[in-house]
Amino acid sequence: MRFAHAHPGAAADPGLWGWSSSVGALLAVTAYVLASGRLRRRGDDWSRWRVVSFGAGGAGVAWAGVGPLPGGPFTAHMSGHLIVGMAAPLLLVLARPLTLTLRVLPPCAARWRLLALAHSRPVRLLTFPPLAALLDVGGLWLLYRTELYEATQHHPLLHAAVHTHVLAAGLLFTFAVCQVDPVRRRWPLSLRAATLLAAGVAHAVLAKSLYAAPPPGTSLVAGDLHVGAQVMYYGGDLVEAAIGTALAAAWYRATGRAWTRRRLRSAAPVLEG
Amino acid sequence: MNGSVHQQPLAPDPPQPRRSMVVCAVLGVAFMAAVDEIVFHQILGWHHFYDRSTSRVGLLSDGLLHTAEVLGLVAGFFLFADLRRRRALAADHAWAGFFLGLGGFQLFDGVVDHKLLRLHQIRYGVDVTPYDWGWNLAGVLLLVIGAVLAVRAARRARGATAS
Repeated sequence: MRFAHAHPGAAADPGLWGWSSSVGALLAVTAYVLASGRLRRRGDDWSRWRVVSFGAGGAGVAWAGVGPLPGGPFTAHMSGHLIVGMAAPLLLVLARPLTLTLRVLPPCAARWRLLALAHSRPVRLLTFPPLAALLDVGGLWLLYRTELYEATQHHPLLHAAVHTHVLAAGLLFTFAVCQVDPVRRRWPLSLRAATLLAAGVAHAVLAKSLYAAPPPGTSLVAGDLHVGAQVMYYGGDLVEAAIGTALAAAWYRATGRAWTRRRLRSAAPVLEG
Repeated sequence: MNGSVHQQPLAPDPPQPRRSMVVCAVLGVAFMAAVDEIVFHQILGWHHFYDRSTSRVGLLSDGLLHTAEVLGLVAGFFLFADLRRRRALAADHAWAGFFLGLGGFQLFDGVVDHKLLRLHQIRYGVDVTPYDWGWNLAGVLLLVIGAVLAVRAARRARGATAS
């Protein structure tokens, strides 16, 4: 995960990516807490669970950036990826940061521009779930099945760029599949669930293939590689199950509301008659 | 108006036998897959995470099945809760579906995963034949239980509509 792994002598230095992502995550959490406090002070309802979720997601990104992670270099790298690319994005997305921003901003140019961006054509294209999945899991295949992984161990800028992509693509994928924030184009549950399934398959196959063959150009200890691959496989399962639960719970609430409406409608004529 | 509507006893939805059976079959498959993963992979350590003889098709099928199980368990749980909430669960059909799912996965895992795709074996370093027989016969037994329950559920449903 950390650039420091390539240089055991510099273990104390989390590197460019580590520091910038940690500071960025803490700033985002601060902004979120301030914004939700402002909403609540003016009497709006904003669930505390969302604040907890966003705080946990931000803390995860910050920890993966500068904190120590257990295991050998590849296992630690993989645990960091799991946090930055999957677990933290889910926690951040479920906190509905876009909704919060739109609600807290007064009607001004910035708010208008943000809304225009959220409804723009490029965003609509990027949040098409299969494309978001391709950018996310496709990027992982590129990273581990080409020389890219080996190169990131020696070039700090490349390392920072890859990790920024992992975080951004993870956020995009989770945002597109969960669809809890207001975007113009709403995709049906069937498409989002099928995308989640396909992304999960690509992730699981990549994890198992890593168990058998390390990324090209690396010389990893077999034990470290095996634990890292299993962290990816089973950790991926956990987050996929959590995303699936978010989708299913949203479906359960929506069908429950529709069912209650139907029952009330069918009961009303009886009352009148 | 609203208050009086809530006090009215509303008729529950009619039972949905086919949906009950399918939802519980999904739960059965996912449950058996979870048992396989927890007992044989993790606790006993008999199955191997990756077997050198695994082919590319095998890896793909394993990834698909594994992810489908995880998501199936989640989806099945919520679909089941939805049936319960609407009182539309047909219990006889649900049990039949659950056993059919258990046996179906067990037999599929034993025949396709272990033997045709050779993803992994039940146990290594021993003669695997008796294990294979035990594994697949257990699958057949669960399927037979499911089939018997399904026939009984169908008979009961017919009896209930006839009377």
